[in-house]
Amino acid sequence: MKLWRSIRGTLDAFWITLRTLFRRPATIAWPEKRRAPAERFRARIVLTRDPQGKERCVACYLCSAACPVSCISMQSAEAPDGRRYAAWFRINFARCIFCGLCAEACPTRAIQMTPDYEMCRRDPLSLLYEKEDLLIDGPGKDPHYDFYRHAGIGVAAPRGTLPGERPPEDPGSLLP
Amino acid sequence: MPTLTIDGRTVSVPEGKTILEAAEAAGVRVPHFCWHRALGALGACRLCAVTVLDGPQKGVRMACLTPVQEGMRVSTLDESSWNMRRSVIEWLMANHPHDCPVCDEGGECQLQDMTVAGNHAVRRQRGRKRTFHNQDLGPFIEHEMNRCIACYRCVRTYRDYCGGDDFGVLGSRDRVYFGRFRPGRLLSPFSGNLVDVCPTGTLTDKTSRFRARPWDLEEASSVCPHCALGCAVIPGGRYRELLRVRADPRPQPNDGFLCDRGRFGYGYANRADRPRQARLEGRPGTLAEAVAALRERVEGIARQHGPEAVLLLGSARATVEANALLSLWARRLGAADPVFDLAARRDGAARIFARAAPALRATLADVRQADLTLVCGADPLAEGPLLALALRQAARRGAAVRVIDPRPVPLVCEAERLPLAPTLVPEALRFLAGGNGAGLSQEVLQPLAETKRLFDAARRPVVIGSAEGLGPDGVRALLALVAGASRPDRDAKAALLLPGPSSFACARLASAVPNAQDLRRRLGGGKIRAVVALEVDPLAEAPPAVTGVIEKAELFAALDYLPTATVGRANLFLPSAGPYEQDGAFCDFAGRLRAFARVLRPGTPILHTGKGNHPPRTFSPDVPGGDAAPAWEILAEILGISGGLSGARAEIEKAFSFLQGLAGLRADARDERVLPGGEPPAPPGAPAGPEPAGLRLLLSDPFVGWEPLSAHAAVLEVLRPEDAVYLNPAELARLGLAPGARARVEAQELSEIRVARAADLPPGLAWVVRRRGSALSRLPAGEVFACRVAREEGA
Amino acid sequence: MSPALLSALLTTAHVAVLLGAVLTAAAYLVWFERKLLARMQLRLGPNRAGWAGLLQPLADVIKLLCKEDVIPAAADRTVYRLAPALTALSAILAFAVIPLGEPVQLFGLEHQLVISDLSVGALFLLGLSSLSVYGVTLGGFASSSKYALLGALRALAQMISYELPLGLSLAPVFLLAGSLSLSDIVRAQADFPFAVLCPVSFVLFVIGALAEARRTPFDLPEAESELVAGYHTEYSGMRFGLYFVGEYLNMLVLGSMGTVFFWGGWLGPGLPGPLWFALKVGLFCFVFVWVRATLPRLRYDQLMRLNWRWLLPLALINLVLTAAGAWLLRGGV
Repeated sequence: MKLWRSIRGTLDAFWITLRTLFRRPATIAWPEKRRAPAERFRARIVLTRDPQGKERCVACYLCSAACPVSCISMQSAEAPDGRRYAAWFRINFARCIFCGLCAEACPTRAIQMTPDYEMCRRDPLSLLYEKEDLLIDGPGKDPHYDFYRHAGIGVAAPRGTLPGERPPEDPGSLLP
Repeated sequence: MPTLTIDGRTVSVPEGKTILEAAEAAGVRVPHFCWHRALGALGACRLCAVTVLDGPQKGVRMACLTPVQEGMRVSTLDESSWNMRRSVIEWLMANHPHDCPVCDEGGECQLQDMTVAGNHAVRRQRGRKRTFHNQDLGPFIEHEMNRCIACYRCVRTYRDYCGGDDFGVLGSRDRVYFGRFRPGRLLSPFSGNLVDVCPTGTLTDKTSRFRARPWDLEEASSVCPHCALGCAVIPGGRYRELLRVRADPRPQPNDGFLCDRGRFGYGYANRADRPRQARLEGRPGTLAEAVAALRERVEGIARQHGPEAVLLLGSARATVEANALLSLWARRLGAADPVFDLAARRDGAARIFARAAPALRATLADVRQADLTLVCGADPLAEGPLLALALRQAARRGAAVRVIDPRPVPLVCEAERLPLAPTLVPEALRFLAGGNGAGLSQEVLQPLAETKRLFDAARRPVVIGSAEGLGPDGVRALLALVAGASRPDRDAKAALLLPGPSSFACARLASAVPNAQDLRRRLGGGKIRAVVALEVDPLAEAPPAVTGVIEKAELFAALDYLPTATVGRANLFLPSAGPYEQDGAFCDFAGRLRAFARVLRPGTPILHTGKGNHPPRTFSPDVPGGDAAPAWEILAEILGISGGLSGARAEIEKAFSFLQGLAGLRADARDERVLPGGEPPAPPGAPAGPEPAGLRLLLSDPFVGWEPLSAHAAVLEVLRPEDAVYLNPAELARLGLAPGARARVEAQELSEIRVARAADLPPGLAWVVRRRGSALSRLPAGEVFACRVAREEGA
Repeated sequence: MSPALLSALLTTAHVAVLLGAVLTAAAYLVWFERKLLARMQLRLGPNRAGWAGLLQPLADVIKLLCKEDVIPAAADRTVYRLAPALTALSAILAFAVIPLGEPVQLFGLEHQLVISDLSVGALFLLGLSSLSVYGVTLGGFASSSKYALLGALRALAQMISYELPLGLSLAPVFLLAGSLSLSDIVRAQADFPFAVLCPVSFVLFVIGALAEARRTPFDLPEAESELVAGYHTEYSGMRFGLYFVGEYLNMLVLGSMGTVFFWGGWLGPGLPGPLWFALKVGLFCFVFVWVRATLPRLRYDQLMRLNWRWLLPLALINLVLTAAGAWLLRGGV
């Protein structure tokens, strides 16, 4: 019985491959034929801005840490107003595999992915995108999120004035 | 030795240990915040909850507070303690800001780790978060009080361990505030340890603020190059830029603590004006060209004018390997030994100490364990800051600390001071060893006699001196004192503070007999035609008599990584790699060889090549400014030694038997190898010259401002002491100087204008703290010179 | 023109045409396999070089010829250079004895459609297929690379093992045909192809042929998921190309053997003999590709167990039964 099942299992597979031979291929001959990707398709990466129009990226290095191919590099710096920002931010699209882990790791919604996947070039240097090339003008997905209004360290507004914060304590007070 | 079981693992620990320590020994990790190996237990954070299943008190206990008992059964995985720990994390996170992306601690944050470990992901607390105002704590420490979880580690470190008194805890209930009474710079020279001990981002390193994440740092086990103590450090760098230095948490040698000089003094490596390109007669060239030129020209001069025309200068801050290869080069040329220290007195003292028996040489651990410490003619805070911290630990254990020194030596612990003229310090040591105290006045003898009683009663006394403070005579007296006091039941040891991380090995490489006269003769003969300065700055450190000869030499070659005066004047310059940019070994003040590993390859930081913006968009296999090579590599190339570091070390072991074992040292394992003692040098032939009459000048080194590496670190500039001349108040009045007045100080044909200040000094003594670049600072420290201090008129 | 000279010229032309045809067939077998595999996997397959990718084999050859010929520093250079040639050579030589049809009249001469109709042609074929193991094994050993060595060891063990059932599966054929000459064997199948007369032999032959050709599911010597590329890991350029071509030539040889031994060679109604022959070989190749598209690779122990525990006993039993059957059929002489 077992032998029969084994033989049948083996022969069934031959029938399946033979049947598949006469079906239409699933792949298409790009670039002569194209498909429109879904809106949440994960391709070219952009850097978005917060609702105030300021850069959302705080250069926390989480995207570069998450990147399995190490194609993101940056240098964080401190702005005079205490904001942490990327002095430079570079994505090497020649290396990027569009896995989306960076966008998933981003705590400020700065890195987002767009459906634009057609970015093959002969010159690898032209695939090295700097911050200027990556920044877009809008907030992209999640348009109302502003990290610094939730951070709780008094950058977007004076300490203790944002919702969810108590006014600063006076450590000199001895009141119970 | 009670035996107990923790999570099924059985472990025996000494009586009096806590469950937490037993768990560490058994390899079980008990989460904790406030407990720290060096600071002990406090029970503030409540995170180390474990369940005692079997023992005198069953139930959930704090592991850091519960002493072990025979037969205890402890579980860290029990549901009750696990739930407790999870609740602790949740309530600690109730007020913690939501700012990990912009917090520098992120990635090495204990709170972050524990929050993840405790499965706390969703905030249940609906209330608003507590906030604080931050303080400006100076240029080293960044304060973000909202992140505090009140573990009290900072206060215990700053006040208890390091002896600082300007940082503490204020307030009550849930608004306890860790900071200063008023905003301002933290005054303790050990303030940087707050960065290491703080388990959250409340206190972070301001010098590397927002520069890199810990996971991006290139780190390696290294040895601090800023003084001779050889503290274990882990520097970290990224993009060819050195970004931070942290203490190795292992207990030896420095107990996981560092001084601010060693921690924040790394800026020299990243300077924009750091010389990174070889220079031949003012023309830029490659390192290979310069190495070939150096070999050809030195060998040519030695052939043409005899080997005595070559003067090789070794360095206390170069690696042991580089100095040994320099010695080897001198041997091959037939020239005299390299001069490792231009200050003859300090050099002589170091050579004697370097041949002392290893059992007499105290390590930092010995100092921490001592029950009596004498500090004679040394300023530990300036010459070896961690030694001052070790003294404090001894004092905290009950050891008495006595200071015998002319200067008001600052320490971070209670100490009894006996002011004594510099020349009398050796005599005082001889008195303690049983001498008659000739030349000591009665008012000195009385406290000395009491010190002698204490010393004779102590079981583990450590006598601390410094090479420049004691001189050869003083070091002999120091060694005689501890050698005479060592018996099977007591362990007397001596520590001698030396100028740099390789000083001990250099002193051992040099011949036993101090050749100060010899150096003077060599310099005076007018025969010197080639000078090679290995990572040393003779033009800033030697008096004019010496520098005149050097500057006139036909070939003045310098190997260095600092923009020193010598590099500026040299007519052949070879860029060498800094201490964190090479593999090598240093030798600490107790004669222990320690290897260190390379952190970064030499090269111009991307910060400079990209001018703050992104790195240049070019492809090139060359590293900009990456021509520098370790000094030992350059010298091995000159000597024709192949095989890299191991080849050089093998050759060194062959040539110098006392450096045996150098090749086997591993940096990451923190191996150390004790240099053997040697034949003690013969007693001096002629006694020292007569004491200069009238006002005498004493120079000494500051915490920051003289030591060559930190003197080139801009961020430490705030710690540089004022350019002052200190005098006894009576002396000040006699000279007609008000405190704060400008005074001209003249000695040995050098003069300088300094601010007059009163200090508790013996009469007849003017005290000047050296600063790199100042004229008077070219005189050696520790010696006394006849001097003149006069009021300087005009603005 | 003397008949001898004409005969020599004809034979030379025959060799040249056969060589060209076989090599072209091997090249297009690559295209055929890639295209077929792609379609069985719902892909398009090669479609850039020429119409439907028909120029792909040409492009591949040009690419391989232009590639650098890398020889590992530790390799045994002489053996390393010779090994690929050995593989290709043993495969090409096999076509010398394979008959493509009945003799034809050319320029007044009777010309055999086989270069050499050996009386022991079947033994010659078996000997050549044993020889091909040397190319693989020597190449793997000479590379002095662990992957190549492992691949070579696997190839050695596998090919030696599977030669037994392969040879034994043919023995009944020889029994029934009463000859070792390939032409005679073909002619003996004028009534019934041997595949019908001894189906067990045929199945054993196909399995053994797959293993001898190192094709899926028996491609352990070059298992790319574990051994990079097995015995030819270190090869590049046209030396790799020789291995590659050798592999496909082997497919053709084994297809031809199957045709000759089991499907009546060139015999068939209507069409000319050589065309029938080509069609049957093509069908064999299709089956080989089909198997590759369908079956996963065996594990090494499975491979060995299948051979020694199943195929070999089966082959022996089959031989005895066929012999007994033949003896009875002929009246128990």
